[in-house]
Amino acid sequence: MRGVSGYVWADSPLHRMGAGAKLAGLVACVALVVLASSPLELLLVCALVAALVALSRVGWRSAARSAWGLRWFLLAVLVMNAFFFGAEDPVISVGPAHLTVAGAAQGVRVVVRTLLVVVLGTLLTATTRPQELIDGVRALLRPLARVGFPAEAAALAVGVTVQFVPTLLRESRQLMRAQTIRCGTVVSHAIMRRAVSYMRLLVPIFVSAIRRADELSVAMEARGYRLPPSRRAADGGEREMHA
Amino acid sequence: MSQVKRIVIAAVCAALCIVLPMAFHSIPNAGATWLPMHIPVMISGLVAGPVAGAVTGLLGPVLSGLLTGMPAAPMLPPMTCELFTYGLVSGLLSRFVRTGSVTRDLYVALIGAMLAGRVVNGVLRALIFSPGAYSLEAWVAASFVTSLVGIVLQLAVVVPIVVSLERAGLVPPRYPEKDA
Repeated sequence: MRGVSGYVWADSPLHRMGAGAKLAGLVACVALVVLASSPLELLLVCALVAALVALSRVGWRSAARSAWGLRWFLLAVLVMNAFFFGAEDPVISVGPAHLTVAGAAQGVRVVVRTLLVVVLGTLLTATTRPQELIDGVRALLRPLARVGFPAEAAALAVGVTVQFVPTLLRESRQLMRAQTIRCGTVVSHAIMRRAVSYMRLLVPIFVSAIRRADELSVAMEARGYRLPPSRRAADGGEREMHA
Repeated sequence: MSQVKRIVIAAVCAALCIVLPMAFHSIPNAGATWLPMHIPVMISGLVAGPVAGAVTGLLGPVLSGLLTGMPAAPMLPPMTCELFTYGLVSGLLSRFVRTGSVTRDLYVALIGAMLAGRVVNGVLRALIFSPGAYSLEAWVAASFVTSLVGIVLQLAVVVPIVVSLERAGLVPPRYPEKDA
């Protein structure tokens, strides 16, 4: 969960940059990652991301933490591509699986692209506080409000989502721990018992989450928060009062 | 229900889209089997309407991909379209299907959304995301076989949760005249 609550304190050009600019930069960098297909192009994008990590001063370990969490998934992607991408000129064949150079190259391409996107996302959250991120989303969406897009509602939704993740995660873990104490670990159960365990777990998680949503919306409305109607939003109308 | 409450419910469900997979991903291959991200999207649509459902379907996977790396980048676009459809269709069906029974309404909306999302996912994969490399067999296997446990879990969990929310007074009842 380091991505959400994992703002890394540092004084770097990336920390000082506006969140809107960082979000736009993230979109541009992800587009570069997707468009890079040859090894040289991928290498250049890797160099760019490495330069951004160095520039951010968050540390290589912090930048790579989310990617490290995906290591088994990425290994599976690499192996699946290497063995099942094609059957032409196999290096080794084992039953229906054929290890090919083209398959291995495709696997490496997919893994490198995924790693780059994950590191870029981690960099954004490590150098931007949640509130700055919300303001950045609002600033980026503001031009769309001129054509009737509900920018304020979208910014509110992103903000509430990001701010609720740590709370709900803590609450879910508490409920899971309580269930483990009562019934043993869910993973060890047979599939039907596991399904029943998840049912018992999910109902309180949802009821608690929606109760929080209800309380928050009541509190916001009681303080006079109103979403601007679309025509006012199109005129650049600001929300009436900050929640 | 006010617009602010709809947006907040959509956002909280999107947050659950990030939280639940983190709990489920401690089990190998649990994401593809238990489909933890689908449940909050459907509940958002059923409880707060099609716009809120669609917002949850968009925000959940995108923010989860950005913040936790799950789903991975190559899986993100088709999954976002699928979840967007789940939220939108569950909300639309929930709004327009009125059989006189809350449970029947919710199951019709839920099953309709589950089918619509899978069809949209299959069509988009076949035409846009994996053109020429996606077969009907692969779609059936991914949509109905691998995820069978997740489908059963959704059928068992989503409607009781929505009914519990109504009973707790957290969302408006579908048939207030019956409760009165």
